[in-house]
Amino acid sequence: MTDERVAGSFRDPAGFVFRRDAALYRQVNPRFAQHYDQLMTSGLYETLTGAGLLVRHEEVDVAPHAGDAHRVLRPEIIDFISYPYEWCPGQLRDAALATLRAQQLAFDHGMSLRDASAFNVQFVAGKPVLIDTLSLEILPQGEPWVAYRQFCQHFLAPLALASSVDVRLLRLLAVHLDGVPLDLAAALLPGRSRMQPGLAVHLHAHARSQRRHADDAGAEEQTKSGAKSGGRFSEQAFRGLIDSLTAAVRKQGWEPGQSAWRDYYAAKESYSDEAMAHKEELVAKFVGELQPRSVWDLGANTGRFSSLAARTAASVVALEMDPSAVEVSWRQAAAGETPTVLPLVMDFANPSPGLGWAHAERQSLSDRGPADVALALALIHHLAIANNVPLADVAAWFATLCQWLVLEWVPKDDPMVRRLLASRHDVFDGYSEQGLEDALADWFEVVRRERVNGSQRTLYLLRRR
Amino acid sequence: MRRLASHFAWLVWLTVCLSLLVLPAANAYIDPGSGSLIFQVVVGAAMALSLGVKVFWRRITGFFSRRSR
Repeated sequence: MTDERVAGSFRDPAGFVFRRDAALYRQVNPRFAQHYDQLMTSGLYETLTGAGLLVRHEEVDVAPHAGDAHRVLRPEIIDFISYPYEWCPGQLRDAALATLRAQQLAFDHGMSLRDASAFNVQFVAGKPVLIDTLSLEILPQGEPWVAYRQFCQHFLAPLALASSVDVRLLRLLAVHLDGVPLDLAAALLPGRSRMQPGLAVHLHAHARSQRRHADDAGAEEQTKSGAKSGGRFSEQAFRGLIDSLTAAVRKQGWEPGQSAWRDYYAAKESYSDEAMAHKEELVAKFVGELQPRSVWDLGANTGRFSSLAARTAASVVALEMDPSAVEVSWRQAAAGETPTVLPLVMDFANPSPGLGWAHAERQSLSDRGPADVALALALIHHLAIANNVPLADVAAWFATLCQWLVLEWVPKDDPMVRRLLASRHDVFDGYSEQGLEDALADWFEVVRRERVNGSQRTLYLLRRR
Repeated sequence: MRRLASHFAWLVWLTVCLSLLVLPAANAYIDPGSGSLIFQVVVGAAMALSLGVKVFWRRITGFFSRRSR
């Protein structure tokens, strides 16, 4: 029997998440009882869950994990936990707006979010959902928003950087787990960002205020005598702040590159292409036969095969290195076309590691698996040739990710491989169909092997040994 | 109308800048969140005013758009 606190759920004295056998629970500690009861009796819980903004839970009668508990909750299970450094700008923006909307609704019920961490947001059916039930507290009257700094660091700063500088700066969230420090964001943003009132106030002036008061005793007196004693931060100011942040977030637009849209529409139109049509038919057949719950599409591009897998699987994670392709895919999911597909940015040469305290607060990609089925379509040459990873290592890594693997072999005389080899020496003697099968043999058994019509490619259905 | 809104946003921004100049300074370590709390208190009035004007403006435009229908 397992009974352990979930790593990463240790900071909050209000409660924590623990796993017992196969079930996940959240313990509410007695010190937080008043706040939790207010959430449940004020109508806020119904409002937030009804709007799809907060994860649902039921109160259960099970023994607490440790100490006394006010309640033990069993939250609805999220299929796949993703992290902000794996999101495209659209996902981060939607998560930011959901957080602000939840804060607005909480305020209407005399409550407030005491955290505005992007890690508290997950995606369910193409919509952002807050998962930390205990982040809602009774509104401390007359005080400013305690989560304001966190909101700016976790959401506004990275969104502004992606929008005004470069989308790759979203990766800063993997280095700074409590959000991009505002002085760093202010230093990286171009001068013209000061012309946007939202950024000028919430990032630039905010960063200056932080610097000014970093070692400032007068500051403490001022918050105490002003905000904390009540009256200084009015209800209208609070609403104004949330409204202003919402406007600032809405302004941080980002458009994916043209190539991603081209791929997306080409994928929709190229059904006439014999090889592609046959490949789709085979993948649909393999996945259909397996009836998996979870599928990971490795190198998903704009999610063509992910949506194919989503016809069968309840949860599909579409992992792709190019943020533009992920953004295109996210927009389809958010629009309700492919709601069970969760697209994420992932570089397979450097997949998400375990991060945070003891490497365990944020799980690595493989720790979040294995998936029932992984698709590795048109991926092998990128790993083995573009990234110089020996086939044996590729096979061993695949084995950590899934029970079943649908793998597309792309031979050396394929036009895509020839393009990769055009600018480099061919040092890949072992890159052959036989070499692949030898490499796979330690980890997988070949269940099916089908040549894709009209191409040199082969599709394998493999079962983990 | 957009122009008016952006002029107003600038006015808010200017108010914030000016109010930052008059904050007192002192020395001793406190948690880094204090700058963020004080900042909100400083800009709070401007935020409240901004929202008030926005709501008022929406009512006016709403009134006329109803009449024109």
